[in-house]
Amino acid sequence: MAGALALDQHAFDTSPDPVGETVLARTRAISDGALRAKAHAIDEGHYPLEIMRDFARVGALSAHLKSAGGNFGLAIDAMRAGARQCGSTGFLMWCHGVFGLYLDHSENCGLADRMLPPHAAGETFGGTALSNPMKSFAGIEPMALKAGRVPGGYRVTGTLPWVSHIGRGQYCGAIAQVVDASGAPSHEIMFVLRCDEPVELRQCPVFSGMEGTSTWGLRLADVRIDDADLIADPAKPFIAKIRAAFILLQLGMGLGVTEGAIDSMLEVESVLGHVNQYLDNRPDEIAGELDELAGRVAKLAETPFETSTDYLIDVLDARAQASELSLRSTQSALLHQGARGYLMSAAPQRRVREAHFVAIVTPAIKHLRSEMTRLSKVAQPAGALT
Amino acid sequence: MNAGTAIPAVIEPTDGLGPWRRYICRVCGLIYDEAEGDVDSGIAPGTRFDDIPDDWECPICNVTKADFDPLVPRAAVSAPQAATPVSRTSGVVIVGAGTAGWGAAEAIRALDPATPITVVTACSGDVYYKPELSVALTRGATPSSLRRETGAQAAARLGVRLMKETVAVGLSPASGTLRTTRGTVRFSDLVLAQGARSAAPACLPAHLCWRVNDLAAWSGLHAALSCGPQRVAIVGAGMVGCELAEDLAGAGHDVTLIGIEELPLLAMLPRPAAERLAAGFSKIGVRFLGGRAVGKVERIDERLRLTLASGETVEADQIVAATGLATEPRLARSGGLAFDRGIVVDPKTMRTSAEHVYALGDCVTIGGAPCRFVEPIRGQAEAIANAILKRDHSGYAHRAPVIRLKTRSTPVVIEGAPSTAGEWRVLQDDADALVMEQWAGGARVARLAA
Ligand SMILES: Cc1cc2nc3c(=O)[nH]c(=O)nc-3n(C[C@H](O)[C@H](O)[C@H](O)COP(=O)(O)OP(=O)(O)OC[C@H]3O[C@@H](n4cnc5c(N)ncnc54)[C@H](O)[C@@H]3O)c2cc1C
Ligand SMILES: Cc1cc2nc3c(=O)[nH]c(=O)nc-3n(C[C@H](O)[C@H](O)[C@H](O)COP(=O)(O)OP(=O)(O)OC[C@H]3O[C@@H](n4cnc5c(N)ncnc54)[C@H](O)[C@@H]3O)c2cc1C
Repeated sequence: MAGALALDQHAFDTSPDPVGETVLARTRAISDGALRAKAHAIDEGHYPLEIMRDFARVGALSAHLKSAGGNFGLAIDAMRAGARQCGSTGFLMWCHGVFGLYLDHSENCGLADRMLPPHAAGETFGGTALSNPMKSFAGIEPMALKAGRVPGGYRVTGTLPWVSHIGRGQYCGAIAQVVDASGAPSHEIMFVLRCDEPVELRQCPVFSGMEGTSTWGLRLADVRIDDADLIADPAKPFIAKIRAAFILLQLGMGLGVTEGAIDSMLEVESVLGHVNQYLDNRPDEIAGELDELAGRVAKLAETPFETSTDYLIDVLDARAQASELSLRSTQSALLHQGARGYLMSAAPQRRVREAHFVAIVTPAIKHLRSEMTRLSKVAQPAGALT
Repeated sequence: MNAGTAIPAVIEPTDGLGPWRRYICRVCGLIYDEAEGDVDSGIAPGTRFDDIPDDWECPICNVTKADFDPLVPRAAVSAPQAATPVSRTSGVVIVGAGTAGWGAAEAIRALDPATPITVVTACSGDVYYKPELSVALTRGATPSSLRRETGAQAAARLGVRLMKETVAVGLSPASGTLRTTRGTVRFSDLVLAQGARSAAPACLPAHLCWRVNDLAAWSGLHAALSCGPQRVAIVGAGMVGCELAEDLAGAGHDVTLIGIEELPLLAMLPRPAAERLAAGFSKIGVRFLGGRAVGKVERIDERLRLTLASGETVEADQIVAATGLATEPRLARSGGLAFDRGIVVDPKTMRTSAEHVYALGDCVTIGGAPCRFVEPIRGQAEAIANAILKRDHSGYAHRAPVIRLKTRSTPVVIEGAPSTAGEWRVLQDDADALVMEQWAGGARVARLAA
């Protein structure tokens, strides 16, 4: 693979880097070089594992893990650097990073010992299928996967419509609802789903973006999951613990896509500034909002496992703001660039579609808002009129 | 058609004194409308304010006529068509639709019919007088009788856009944006009127204990108490706890009032006054357990059990937590606003630490202290309206409001600003009345009558 060869020529320095400056500088070098050059090909369907491998090698995909000091701010900044050039790759960085988060906090140490080092190093790849369970826990939709207990493990059945960053030889974190013999639900389990036979990978219809994220439909018919592959049993307390961190990490996508949009606006400032001055959402305004948001995110990233409701609302608020800002800034970048930005190969129109994804990937803006409403309500004793 | 109850025709004045007038209680904001009278107190519709007997009392807070001001009618404002969307990109945004939020909207409208106003509120926006909530059960009030106007009606009357059931979650003063659970709203000026929330400790969990701080919560308690006399434990013997205790007892419930101090309201009242209050309570059958802290609350079958720190237990059907209020800091902090137990405001302009952001009502602190009463709100709203519209105005002048405890068994009135350091002197203490004065630094700072 070309990327693997290219990697060897980089001769990466692996000296200690406590504040992450080197990690970030190297991540930016890859983003602004190889990734920028491939962004259009990725938009058309190229799955950039070679870039992901490069990112892993410089520490861009593991900064938030305990082994690297649990630096969530750095992980978000690295993702931001990737998403600035290519939103799809920013999303892949999140998928990969969040799977690492699951293993890092799992009490199944044997599983983490086996899987986490090669995952963090970019020798193996995998993502996350938690969209459905996250919405299910928020009461938005029923759980898609059901599990039954068997000796030494579970048997899982169900279908998930789309899961990214998977393929044969890859894996993802998933959650199933355990039902007893009578069909009554008891609790949920979280496990590593290995995307090999007999798990069926089904071709997805063509999406308007994210085509290079290796997104598949998953069908499981009585697939055996060994106890050794359990991340958490029961899953709910585990999810409660990592939920804020899971959402916080996504901020890298929204911040990066917005930053890319500002780049596109500034790119044409010298030639089109005399007419672009009449547009709303000018680069300086967007940059002001972006800085303010990024500052709040950096602060939140210092305590990703805080459990207070206020903290969670702060994270959800930042995530929603990042979605809205991505939508507004990418739209504006397209208007700033005009026809040149509207070319199929141009970044501004691609970013509009990337921003749409930032806004609809779980938690979508609407889910964030309904969740913030729920969290803001003061409970009342039962039997009350509501 | 059914022959239902006849709706009384609106009486027109025939006394030659002009149209009916309205008067507002400075203390609690109740409005006496001459057309409607105060039937519950025997004042017939069509009674001029001047003709009301001098011993008539405000039906909510028991003050007399002297504490009422004429309600100056405000210039009629033509409301924009309901279908006309108000611009999202400018105008005043108000967070909260309590007395303070609606009060700010009214004050701005009174000065300017055109400024776009958006009210963002987590509740329904329905208009009610919160002081009534602690005297309502005895009077047989219902949620609908307490609701004076729906949010939609108030919005139409004032020509404002109401975003109800919408929570403000974040704000950025620099970009003039307020983030809400129904989208981001832009403002040229922002008014925070978010009130304060129950500050009940974790041992009084919200799913087991009522907090009577808004109409929705009161309605829940009202429904829970509707099936006949019940045992109610009220935790916290401050103003709200004391008033609710009397109100619930008056409505036929078996009430236990639990206070951390040995007498009710001892944190605010001098001992002789608190003793009078306690004596009044025992006369009306409220059991007062003083000097007790609550340890935990559990549900045991259909009952609740309160275990006190002393180990004693109290069984109840309903528990009310009345342990005080606190301003929720998250929203203000998200915008980097100075916060010290409440949103810090300039005492004259009511401006927060950020330009174009104002605050009033229960959510603010002035000089480091909150002042959670109705009376200051009107003046605060006027100062904000004038500041926003850049009119010449002397600003808000804060002074301690007259405090009236609406307990009919022992009404208590405090004027001035009692301090923890001052010395109370008894002027009169007999079967008729207790009158005391507090002196600090050689000056009289407060006067109390009970
Ligand atoms: C390109 C792409 C890649 C993605 N990659 C991933 C990934 O890697 N991992 C992942 O977990 N997710 C992934 N997703 C899913 C994504 O995160 C969102 O969950 C998805 O877009 C659906 O969100 P929505 O806003 O459409 O859901 P909503 O509009 O909230 O729809 C609600 C959901 O509830 C269901 N529903 C509602 N009522 C009922 C009912 N009564 N019974 C049954 N179902 C009901 C609907 O079918 C719908 O799925 C991906 C999506 C896309 C488009
Ligand atoms: C039982 C009781 C009896 C009282 N009796 C008296 C009395 O006799 N005399 C007296 O002077 N005072 C009395 N008070 C105090 C008085 O009622 C209050 O000081 C006054 O009502 C406060 O009004 P406010 O508008 O500031 O707050 P609130 O009425 O609490 O209004 C706050 C508003 O903000 C909204 N809100 C909060 N957070 C958000 C958010 N994040 N986003 C959007 N909206 C939000 C709420 O939904 C609500 O609409 C009493 C209080 C109580 C509880």
